[in-house]
Amino acid sequence: MTSGEIKAILPQPTEESAPFWAGCDRGELLLSHCGECGHRFYYPRRLCPKCGAGSPKMRPSSGRGTVFSFSDVHLSFYGTAWASQLPYTVILVDLDEGPRMLSRLVGEGGVAIGDRVQVCFVEMDGHRLPYFERVPA
Amino acid sequence: MPRVSDDVVIIGMGETPVGKLPGLQSVQIQAWAVQQALVDCGLRTTDVDGLINLDPYAQPSSMFSTTLAEYLGLQPTFVSTVDVGGTVTAMTMLQQAVWAISSGYCETAVCVYGENTLTGRPKGVQGLVMNNLLGGEEWEEPFGVQGMVVPYALVAQRYLHQYGASTADLGEAAVIMRRHALLNDNAQMKKPMTLADHAASRTISTPLRLFDCSLVSDGGGALVLTSRDRARKLGARMVGIRSIAMKATHNSVAQMPDIEQFGMADAGRDAFQSAGMGPGDFDIAMLHDAFTISVLVTLEALGFCGPGRAGDYLRSGAASLGGHCPLNTHGGLLSQAHIGGMLHITEAVRQIRGEAGRRQVDGARRAVVSGNGGVFSVCGVMVMEATK
Repeated sequence: MTSGEIKAILPQPTEESAPFWAGCDRGELLLSHCGECGHRFYYPRRLCPKCGAGSPKMRPSSGRGTVFSFSDVHLSFYGTAWASQLPYTVILVDLDEGPRMLSRLVGEGGVAIGDRVQVCFVEMDGHRLPYFERVPA
Repeated sequence: MPRVSDDVVIIGMGETPVGKLPGLQSVQIQAWAVQQALVDCGLRTTDVDGLINLDPYAQPSSMFSTTLAEYLGLQPTFVSTVDVGGTVTAMTMLQQAVWAISSGYCETAVCVYGENTLTGRPKGVQGLVMNNLLGGEEWEEPFGVQGMVVPYALVAQRYLHQYGASTADLGEAAVIMRRHALLNDNAQMKKPMTLADHAASRTISTPLRLFDCSLVSDGGGALVLTSRDRARKLGARMVGIRSIAMKATHNSVAQMPDIEQFGMADAGRDAFQSAGMGPGDFDIAMLHDAFTISVLVTLEALGFCGPGRAGDYLRSGAASLGGHCPLNTHGGLLSQAHIGGMLHITEAVRQIRGEAGRRQVDGARRAVVSGNGGVFSVCGVMVMEATK
């Protein structure tokens, strides 16, 4: 999928987050897994935010989840350059593996809390961002 | 259980005019607020040996406590700059002042915040321009989130869904705050607002409309604290701090827990236990109202009403002037001014001293103050009481 009207600020990966964003470029949504307590978390970091153990491993998520909340944004934070994509939809998704993730919903139609969604990767300036689209009921 | 020393009291409070203060820098606005607070308690800058402040958000500045101390001509034995978030910053300033005074680092401390957030922003820009980093950028900006309005919109949408509440419930908070602001000469908003006005205001980020959002303001507020002994010798009007409690759960909205898991309920429980009081014991409530949804969630977390019942609670009149626990009698961040919540505390002092004029709550002795920084990321609750 390409971005079309979508505009976004691209991430500036750190050494720690680069594998996550590289995963997106390959079409994989990576979650961090704690080797000690089994906790799965997003975003990536050097230790488990639940038990404190180090060296978490990254593994692909199913990319499926349920909408926890959403908002249609009618205001441009970046001046007139963003006006053409208004309104756009921001969502909080509860991934099937557990973690909650902030993202954007793309594709046609409205959205409701509880809707099932699936990750899709939207290309922008050579990078792919992990957005979501509705799973047909 | 967190306990606040009873040996330190608030003896002075000051506010600058709010709204637009063109041509003034943040340090000058903070100095003005300090001056007002010292006049209020009959002291001079030469009496101050402790200074605690927050540096401006719109123009991040290092070492802002010594910047202000130098301007005021102070050589304090305790200085600190605090940035915890929302009104929790102000509570933390007070907490530091209590610790510093009760452990002998200083005798009289001033806590202050103020900046030129409104006139200092670039032309044509809407909302608050925060030039400092909020910490979640990498996990927010690629998804179209910048600043605080979308995070609070996500909370509000979830709230409405979860409890079957309506945007009119949000509107109740906006309308009450406006009604109270109209009784405050030092308020930015001067025109009445109805529920219909709220419903007709433009959509910012669903379900939040313009009138669900707090103001962007220039202005400052300050508080003076000293030991109870010194306050007695000075013959000062005293207000006591009975308890302060806080709970931090996350930072970015990308890590937001469920509404029931926000830190406000825990902070409230600890602050109420520490003060030996409950939600039925307060004469006034000064609740952080960066967005209308903040008020609803806080009322429920603190036990003023059950989950999802805040709209009914507001409609009942309980939170209006004349009700059993009036809310944000100064007009709050929604309709007076957004000075980081400092003015929630100056207003509580004013009410407890019986000096709130035409919006005075009869016999006000006890106040609960709430704060939340970020998107309920850090929550704080403080109990204040009349004392002698």
